[in-house]
Amino acid sequence: MAYNAYNPTLESGDQGPQIHIREINDEVLDFVLSNTDLSVANALRRVMIAEVPTIAIDIVQIEKNTSVLADEFLAHRLGLIPLCSSTVDRMKYTRDCNCIQACENCTVELTLDMCCQDDDTMEVTSRNLLSNDPNVVPVLTDDNDPGILIVKLRKGQELKVNCLAKKGVAKEHAKWSPVSAVGFEYDPHNRLRHTQYWVEQDEKEEWPLSHNAPEEPEPKPGEPFDFKAEPNRFYFRVETVGSLRPEEVFLTSISVLQDKLGTMQIKLDDDGGQDEPSDMGYGANDQWENGY
Amino acid sequence: MSTVAQEPVPSVGSFGTLERKRVHENPGNQFQYPALHSLAAPHIDSFNAIFQGTDSSPSWISAALKDIPPKVVHDHLKGAKSAAYIEDSDEEDHGEQTSTNKLGNRIQFWIDSVDLTKPMANLGGDQSHIQRIYPSEARDCSTSYQGKLQAKVCWRVNHGPVLSDVCPMGYLPVMVKSNRCNTEHLSPKEHIRHREESEDFGGYFVINGNEKIVRLLIAQRRNYIMGINRPTFADRGPAYTTYGTSIRCVRPDQSSSTMTLHYLSNGVLTLRFYIDKREYLVPYMIILRALVDTSDRDVFLALARGDVENTFLTERIELLLRSFSPLGLFTQQQCLEYLGVRFHSALSLPEEYTPAQIGKELLRQCISVHVTDNQEKFNVLVAMAQKLYALVAGECSPDNADSAQNQEVLLPGQIYTGLLKENLEGYLDNILFRIRQDVSRGSRLCNFSDPVYVTRMLRRSNPDVGRKLHYFLSTGNLVSRSGLDLLQSGGFVIIAERINFLRYLAHFRCIHRGAFFAEMKTTTVRKLRPESWGFLCPVHTPDGSPCGLLNHLSYTCQVSHRTPDVSKLPGLLVSLGMSQVLHGHVSNPNHITVQLDGRVIGYCSPHLAVDIARKLRHLKVSKQHNLPLDMEIGYVPVSHGGQYPGLYLFTTPCRMVRPVKYLSSKANYDIVGSFEQVYMDIACVDEDVIPNVTTHQEYAPTYIMSVLANMTPFSDFNPSPRNMYQCQMGKQTMGTPAQALKCRSDNKLYVLQTGQTPIVRSRLHNAYAFDEYPNGTNACVAVISYTGYDMEDAMILNKSGHERGFAYGSVYKSELVDLTSQARRGGGPVTLQFGLGEMDEDSPARRTLDVDGLPFVGAHLKAGDAFYAFYDTERKRTVVKSYKGPEEGYVDSVRLLGQDDITRPLQRIKIVVRIPRAPLIGDKFSSRHGQKGVCSQKWPSVDMPFSESGVQPDVIINPHAFPSRMTIGMFVESMAAKAGAMHGNPQDCTPFQFSEDYTASEHFGEQLAKAGFNYYGNEPMYSGITGKEFEADIYFGVVYYQRLRHMVNDKFQVRSTGTINPLTRQPVKGRKRAGGIRFGEMERDSLIAHGTAYLLQDRLLHCSDYCQTHVCKLCGSIVSPVNVPSAFANPGSREFSKYKSVVECKTCATADGITVISLPYVFKYLASELGAMNIRMTLKVD
Repeated sequence: MAYNAYNPTLESGDQGPQIHIREINDEVLDFVLSNTDLSVANALRRVMIAEVPTIAIDIVQIEKNTSVLADEFLAHRLGLIPLCSSTVDRMKYTRDCNCIQACENCTVELTLDMCCQDDDTMEVTSRNLLSNDPNVVPVLTDDNDPGILIVKLRKGQELKVNCLAKKGVAKEHAKWSPVSAVGFEYDPHNRLRHTQYWVEQDEKEEWPLSHNAPEEPEPKPGEPFDFKAEPNRFYFRVETVGSLRPEEVFLTSISVLQDKLGTMQIKLDDDGGQDEPSDMGYGANDQWENGY
Repeated sequence: MSTVAQEPVPSVGSFGTLERKRVHENPGNQFQYPALHSLAAPHIDSFNAIFQGTDSSPSWISAALKDIPPKVVHDHLKGAKSAAYIEDSDEEDHGEQTSTNKLGNRIQFWIDSVDLTKPMANLGGDQSHIQRIYPSEARDCSTSYQGKLQAKVCWRVNHGPVLSDVCPMGYLPVMVKSNRCNTEHLSPKEHIRHREESEDFGGYFVINGNEKIVRLLIAQRRNYIMGINRPTFADRGPAYTTYGTSIRCVRPDQSSSTMTLHYLSNGVLTLRFYIDKREYLVPYMIILRALVDTSDRDVFLALARGDVENTFLTERIELLLRSFSPLGLFTQQQCLEYLGVRFHSALSLPEEYTPAQIGKELLRQCISVHVTDNQEKFNVLVAMAQKLYALVAGECSPDNADSAQNQEVLLPGQIYTGLLKENLEGYLDNILFRIRQDVSRGSRLCNFSDPVYVTRMLRRSNPDVGRKLHYFLSTGNLVSRSGLDLLQSGGFVIIAERINFLRYLAHFRCIHRGAFFAEMKTTTVRKLRPESWGFLCPVHTPDGSPCGLLNHLSYTCQVSHRTPDVSKLPGLLVSLGMSQVLHGHVSNPNHITVQLDGRVIGYCSPHLAVDIARKLRHLKVSKQHNLPLDMEIGYVPVSHGGQYPGLYLFTTPCRMVRPVKYLSSKANYDIVGSFEQVYMDIACVDEDVIPNVTTHQEYAPTYIMSVLANMTPFSDFNPSPRNMYQCQMGKQTMGTPAQALKCRSDNKLYVLQTGQTPIVRSRLHNAYAFDEYPNGTNACVAVISYTGYDMEDAMILNKSGHERGFAYGSVYKSELVDLTSQARRGGGPVTLQFGLGEMDEDSPARRTLDVDGLPFVGAHLKAGDAFYAFYDTERKRTVVKSYKGPEEGYVDSVRLLGQDDITRPLQRIKIVVRIPRAPLIGDKFSSRHGQKGVCSQKWPSVDMPFSESGVQPDVIINPHAFPSRMTIGMFVESMAAKAGAMHGNPQDCTPFQFSEDYTASEHFGEQLAKAGFNYYGNEPMYSGITGKEFEADIYFGVVYYQRLRHMVNDKFQVRSTGTINPLTRQPVKGRKRAGGIRFGEMERDSLIAHGTAYLLQDRLLHCSDYCQTHVCKLCGSIVSPVNVPSAFANPGSREFSKYKSVVECKTCATADGITVISLPYVFKYLASELGAMNIRMTLKVD
């Protein structure tokens, strides 16, 4: 899968940034990004972690909670449950929406209404969270997945909550992050000497080679150091939490990045910085920070 | 070389999560953590012994009752019917009979027995409503957990029959899990039913809802003669020297009395003892001769033990005997009478007593009280003198009172018994006092033979003994006539705070040296001494003022609590070759004494003593002859100027003992005491064993440390102060204070929401149930200086980790609302009732209040919100009380508290408010290695550095935290936990597992390498901001982090304006009153030095007591300008106006010189203060 919409003015023969996908499944996307700058690669990483919008429970209205967990604890647990967010594009941020607090354009409502009447302990899981939008439901890996345990109830304990799930990004709160971790590496043989391996005796023995090392030729002993070299192959491993497919995360991150660059381009073209300072795509940043 | 090194480090097994889950779901009848229960054993055993005796020994309280001297009153009636009272003893002669005749009828009181019931409540009057009370109910209701104390008071008139009456003595606090507690035999399952912790081990009292513990104290070893060389002794009087011997004698009821024998430079010996805190000094010879009918020759022989060659000794004995002869006391009777006459008033004995009888009673009550027989008392005194002479001659060294060898434990039960005894005796004295009053008034009703009169007297004197002990437990103050032979009168009781489980545990193991030593200027008492090896933890002591005084028992240290039957022991020793003490028989001067619990039972040669000690130990360990296992066999060898030799056997309770492996027999479980340990050959590890010398070996080197010190991972890699700090900080951690959180009503509880089990844990971790009470979180820690926010012991948190719940905690505050205390009149009918009365539907208070006047569970409270409401039926209005705050919280629970009278309407409730405490910048965290830090920044996840696999640290700490502190243990923990996390198994961090031949870094390095990491725990990392790889690789691992309870929210103090002191108009101090922080002289100096004049003016004037005032330029006074109504003003004044008042100078009588200046108000105040003293202050104003 090649991507070449970067800049047509590149030198001939250079095709711009390249992507080589090594592994892709429901949770993981492993790819090599090459022929681009470190800043672009890191920007991609940062966007994937923090700025890809997903849907997560944001407001929890507790009607009844006689379980052992405190209300805020429960609300916190609910917030961290990943929800299928493939349709997040069709949703609006509540701040951009015309409604006051919640409407179907910006909010998905989930309910949890459980009461234990058996002598056995009842396990309330994310399967018991009922959504009013069939597309936005708690993530399950397969039909046998018991769901994420929310709380255990004993006989007589009851839980009735109403959750409002909203669109958001992980910049605001980690629960909106679509990824659990993004592996990122370049220069596995340390050819660029960006780092110095600390060794007690023998570097080869003490420093295990990265699994990305076979991708690049092993440096020959006594190879001259190229001090002008720049990193240009980046090994990514994106692991999602399930709310979005890994390729969705990646593609969204590209478009988020494009949007940001586009905004900047427009602002620069517009007035050369005469007007009020551009917010560089961080439009609602202030609003977010007020929450924190 | 080392055998420890070769064997692989044992695994600590699994995390045991499933097993724990199983037990939690089905709590059985068995306690899961027996080790935990043994921690509080010294407390519980000593309380049990108060009321429960064994076959060989009576209960402490019954022994105490027996020890109370007879309480007798006479009615002084002439011609009393049953004339004479003849004492059972045959010494009574006819002359005394007539003297008792004059006294009239005689009545004697005594308490036959005391009984304490288990805590009960009577709900509703009749017997059918009596119900057991459980500790949780007492805690909930802020009452005390106490049982009913009853005493059977007996009396006898003349020779008549013994009459008795059972008197209620009030309610006595009961120790939880003791034999008077309702939870004594409950299983974990029943514990839960009664709303206790499933593994509650008791040992505390519940006083007014608080859990109180009587602190263990260090006391001088009982029944052992200590040689003392103390400079203060010489100040007692002329001829007194610094030498003395002292013995703390303990009666069967565990009360003690200390005697000191002083050596005077003129050869005289004086015995010092105390009666009711008053000091008495009595010539030694009088006591000696009063004890036994003996001659000077016998005394000489007994003291010199036939060593007539020793002129030093014989000369002194001669002086001693000569000094006695001028008194002209030749017989025992004369000596007794001599004492009796002098101690008549001190002892307050029945009037009928003759001086000789008083003398006898003195000997019984004050002299060598650990033995009853006079001959034995005599022997003890002789042994004291012998040791004293040896000490003076320099043959032996003085004993060190600060050494654990000469110490034992003062147990809660002892103090409790002592107080009970004294108060019961006080009750009898009170009865006596009232009857005497009646007798002296010649009251008509005063008739001894009338049981109604006597019982009325019994009832009339207030017998509330329970209250006295309740007072003791609630304040810790000892109100005692005798002082109980203790050096302090307060600070005996502490609250068992449940800040977290570590803190709670430590309370039961802490042992204090005594408040007396806290003020001592010398530091010798605080020293860590080798004698305390294995008994007191060398690590676990606070730093600062209580350092070394407040120690903790090692986790294996026990306190002996039995009083075994040792009557057969002297016989056994004789069969082993010891020669008995025979009266008049003189032993070989080279022989050493054999003492059993302070009784001189024989002599033997030093050579034989070695043999006896060895055989006795063998018999003891192999459980033959019924010898108690915790018996101490302390053989002190003959030395030149060392400890005074002898074979000392101890079997008494209250001694510190500990298990040690006995090597020369199959049965290898031996218990060793702190006295004998000094002279034993105990190897620590296998390498230390010397064949034919070593007799014992430690089970493990960790046995010397307390439970908490054992929890520090790899503590053998850390410098000792860091381990000390961890012992402190472990106790300040926000953790899991209790499992029965819903049933707790402590004033303040700190709860960590998602505590984890540490990956790296010591073997004791499981034994002491620390997995039940998690205390921290396993955090990914990178050691890197990143963005600078982690400098100076600050640490950076990952904001995303924080958002996912890292170190989130809450504070539970509970508030007791008692309407009876808010009512205008105490007692009387109930006028206040919870409820809203006629409150409007839309009143703002309804947001948080339900119709019953109580807040909704879960309601969000801000300062000023309605907290609860009640209706005043008298004034017909609703009173709404508001939440004081200042922090926002949620109502966690509202508990309705019952009371004894179930017919009364609800008056008391308890509201628990839960205050969320997410980690904030400024909150304190620490690893388990004394490495504390304050959160200085929460970086978003994208800005945090990351490893190649995308792992981001939860915590960043600065590398500078290590070089000076050298907490290598933290590095090892980091590696170990990283490997453990990757392999999914817990890691053992018990200290002393590794050696130079098999290092920890090797062990865990291999594991890391197997998991694909660098051998030494480093990782290449990338900057989260630029994505560039760091030049250095980063030490990155997993460390168990504790969140400490010191949080900014409890500490921050800011103010712009606010309350001021009315006198000086300066801001008040104190965080609670929103006051300012003192900007003192030194701060002022620094501003002057910096030349920041405006800042100085701002701090000290504008933000403080800026004021504008009038000054008279003519006279320069700021005191004289006063406001004068314009009507009375001087017409010549400027600004003369009809309506306004005018400021005029009183002294110049004009307003001409008045102008306004600004100055600090205190300056004006100073001027007026000076004026009051006739000092004029003038200002030069232009």
